Amino acid sequence: MRFGKGHAIGVALAAAAIALAPVLITNGFYLKVLFLIGVNYLAAAGLNVLVGHTGQKSLGHAGLFAVGAYTAALLTARLGWNPWLAFVAAGAMAALFGVLIALPALRVRGPALAMVTIGFGIVVEKVVSEWQDLFGGQAGIYGVVPPSIGGSALNDGQWVWFVGALGIVAHLTIRALLRGKYGRAFMAVNTAEVAAESVGVSVYRFKVLAFVISAVTCGLAGALIAQQNQYINSDFINFNLSIFFLLIVLFGGSSVYGPLVGAVVLTLLDAFLARWPTAQHFTYGALLLFALYAMPDGLSGALGRLAKKLVPALARKPALPAPTTGWKLRATERLAADKPLLQTRAVYKAYGGVVPTNNIDMDIKTGHIHSLIGPNGAGKTTLLNILSGIVPPDRGSIEFAGRSIVHMVPNRICAIGLGRTFQNLKLFADMSVLDNVKVGLHRHMRSGFWSCLLGLPNAQRDERAARDEALQILDFLGLLDKADEVAGSLPYGLQRRLELARALATHPRLLLLDEPAAGLNPQETQDLVGVIAKIRDLGVTVLLIEHHMDLVMAISDHVIVLDYGEKIAEGKPAEVQNNPRVITAYLGTDEPDEDDLELEASHG
Amino acid sequence: MGASLLQAVFSGLALGSIYALVALGFNITHNTTKTFNFGQGEFLVAGAYVAVSAVLLLAGKPISGALSEIEVTPGRYFAALIVSIVVLGALGVLLYHAAVKPFVGQGGLAWVMSTIGFGIIIQNTALAIWGPAPLVMPSPLGNQVIRIGGAGVLPQEILVLVASILVMACLDFVMRKTKIGKAVRAVAHSGPAATLMGINVSAIVVLAFVISSALAGLAGLLIAPITTASVFMGLTLALKAFSAAIVGGLNNARGCMLGGFLLGLIEALVGLWQAELREISIFLLIILVLVLKPEGLLGRRMVEKV
Repeated sequence: MRFGKGHAIGVALAAAAIALAPVLITNGFYLKVLFLIGVNYLAAAGLNVLVGHTGQKSLGHAGLFAVGAYTAALLTARLGWNPWLAFVAAGAMAALFGVLIALPALRVRGPALAMVTIGFGIVVEKVVSEWQDLFGGQAGIYGVVPPSIGGSALNDGQWVWFVGALGIVAHLTIRALLRGKYGRAFMAVNTAEVAAESVGVSVYRFKVLAFVISAVTCGLAGALIAQQNQYINSDFINFNLSIFFLLIVLFGGSSVYGPLVGAVVLTLLDAFLARWPTAQHFTYGALLLFALYAMPDGLSGALGRLAKKLVPALARKPALPAPTTGWKLRATERLAADKPLLQTRAVYKAYGGVVPTNNIDMDIKTGHIHSLIGPNGAGKTTLLNILSGIVPPDRGSIEFAGRSIVHMVPNRICAIGLGRTFQNLKLFADMSVLDNVKVGLHRHMRSGFWSCLLGLPNAQRDERAARDEALQILDFLGLLDKADEVAGSLPYGLQRRLELARALATHPRLLLLDEPAAGLNPQETQDLVGVIAKIRDLGVTVLLIEHHMDLVMAISDHVIVLDYGEKIAEGKPAEVQNNPRVITAYLGTDEPDEDDLELEASHG
Repeated sequence: MGASLLQAVFSGLALGSIYALVALGFNITHNTTKTFNFGQGEFLVAGAYVAVSAVLLLAGKPISGALSEIEVTPGRYFAALIVSIVVLGALGVLLYHAAVKPFVGQGGLAWVMSTIGFGIIIQNTALAIWGPAPLVMPSPLGNQVIRIGGAGVLPQEILVLVASILVMACLDFVMRKTKIGKAVRAVAHSGPAATLMGINVSAIVVLAFVISSALAGLAGLLIAPITTASVFMGLTLALKAFSAAIVGGLNNARGCMLGGFLLGLIEALVGLWQAELREISIFLLIILVLVLKPEGLLGRRMVEKV
């Protein structure tokens, strides 16, 4: 735990520096610059959760800054609230607006998401500049009351202490959050939304949460500015402020230290180039233009790489403990023996005239391995997507473990015990192998948001237990020696294996495998037979789609054949093999068609 | 009432055609590279300033001079158009190589930031050359108000409308009916597949940025006589054009044009009723449209295959 100790020392040094600075520095300008560094850090630290970790674009955070600033201003100057209370209320109000902006933002992605956030920022900007009765427009609101200690308002030095303390709290809490299950869930949403849902992470919930976190810190930053200046007007709120916050995050990099590095460098640049506006603007332009080209993962990423090169000890990861016991599936309540685990009746889905799923009735028995086969385009993957909740069926019923799962969102379906893998791999490619499996365990980690935010002992215990269990799962699938590697850098066969591990980590009762042998070499395919049998022996029921018939015939208890969206046969492997309709679907009919006859006639 | 409504419709259409031109530029580069120039507003401003300087030079004055109405003859205006399009096209090439090429194919915000950065540099270069004073560009057609159905319309507004509709119709034709248009659409569909068919993808991509930047230059030249152009007007214009593209459907050229006109009309009509609500209502409306139809009015829905 050397790293943990190093971090504690770092935080202590930072705290000492903040405590001493106002004592040693008496120049008001320098104190103001320190204060601004703190404010910008605070705003960027939250925005980093949204942009750097959850991967959501936002070009409108000036709007949230405004919400905080004007809440503090109006509550103190107009309603005479206690300034401390108003400061807290500013954060709460910003959180509310964070939800408000998240709701439309959830429906869109890419450029449209940028548009929604830009739109929000501009609407707020125009409201505060045009609604002069309430917000004072360009004239602004005077007499914003700063917090006071012992009856006197904070002086420049005390402001630095205040913002420094807030910054340290923000750093510690956000770091605790990002290192645990929440941080992994944010990253999962960032890299592969469908996969995140399939392992029980609610994309909806985590996007809203990320928006709220960034809103709170931006709102508090706004309140700090309004209360420190004792004044706020509409000129503070503009598109360039949104860009500035974003620049801090991107320039700093997405590591927890990124916003700090970004805030320090850019605030200093801003303060000391202010005398030469032209130089300042050109510097900004050049930074925006070249910084991300030169340092794709920001200044903190570049510094981190440099440090690891100079001091190789930093790059060494702590050794992981070897698992001592084998992995076991968590026991679930037993169904009545005669009841199928999953039952579909008349499930139907059409895309225009194409009907990939046409009135499918299917029973999946507990403890068996079922195979779903059929020619390309038969509707196998669509059926799997319907079962796992990714595609809603047009009609029909699906019962899983005694519950209807039609119209249930995928993460809920996962939570009641249905896991899956994907035909086109959907790993969390930038995360380590171990973390991929830990995301699978997300649902089974009981500690809540506040324990994770505050890094309470129960959250830490949970985290250790999850690591141990993830290692057991990796051991079970023979991936233990790859635990520290980045998932995206594994060879293809092992990536498939890792997806299996991640799905297993959700403790599924039914596991859906979409072409698990696609792209594997014969040896790997052979190994897969053993792996699937092992999974069945754990007590997991399996439904798999596969084109390798030797694999299907070797392990299936029951085979279902689809063709053009319809079930054309089912039964034991041997029965299906000899079914004439199946043979027709795969090989065509024996009857010669007319073209052939003509051809023969002309040759004959 | 009727006349002022008609007048608002005319100025809305004129303004809308400017948005449509810029939005079309977004569409062309987005289709080919999934990126576009966030600093397009600064390009538009640059187009206006280059044009004014060109007219000044043709009139035998220094570029810091002021233009009087007589000096802006249709011939000089047309020559300025050529100069502006050529200069902006060249800027487009520069933009592509400096700010876009390193980030093509990466998700995330890197290209957003780099194109904004490029725009800031353009803006400050313009500031250094021409200064912060607003730009005066009289219309080549004079300021005599034309009466149409009781509404007063500036000749420049008609020029803007006619010129941009012509340009858009030409582009639409080129994209749909010619070989080069087919190549652009092939690249839009799949760059690698287009390469395998023998299309020079990098040339097409550069061409897309040239066209996009030239469109911004044209928009700047057209709009300069109807607004008081300044170095700082680019941002708002570009944001509205971006909104137009998103509302109409960023991946559909006709959607972008439709979005532009729609936005211009709404802006003018709301402005008739309550000027200070213009931007607020536009952007609220856009958010609403995106909630209901995330792909835009005419956009194609992108489905992720699982």
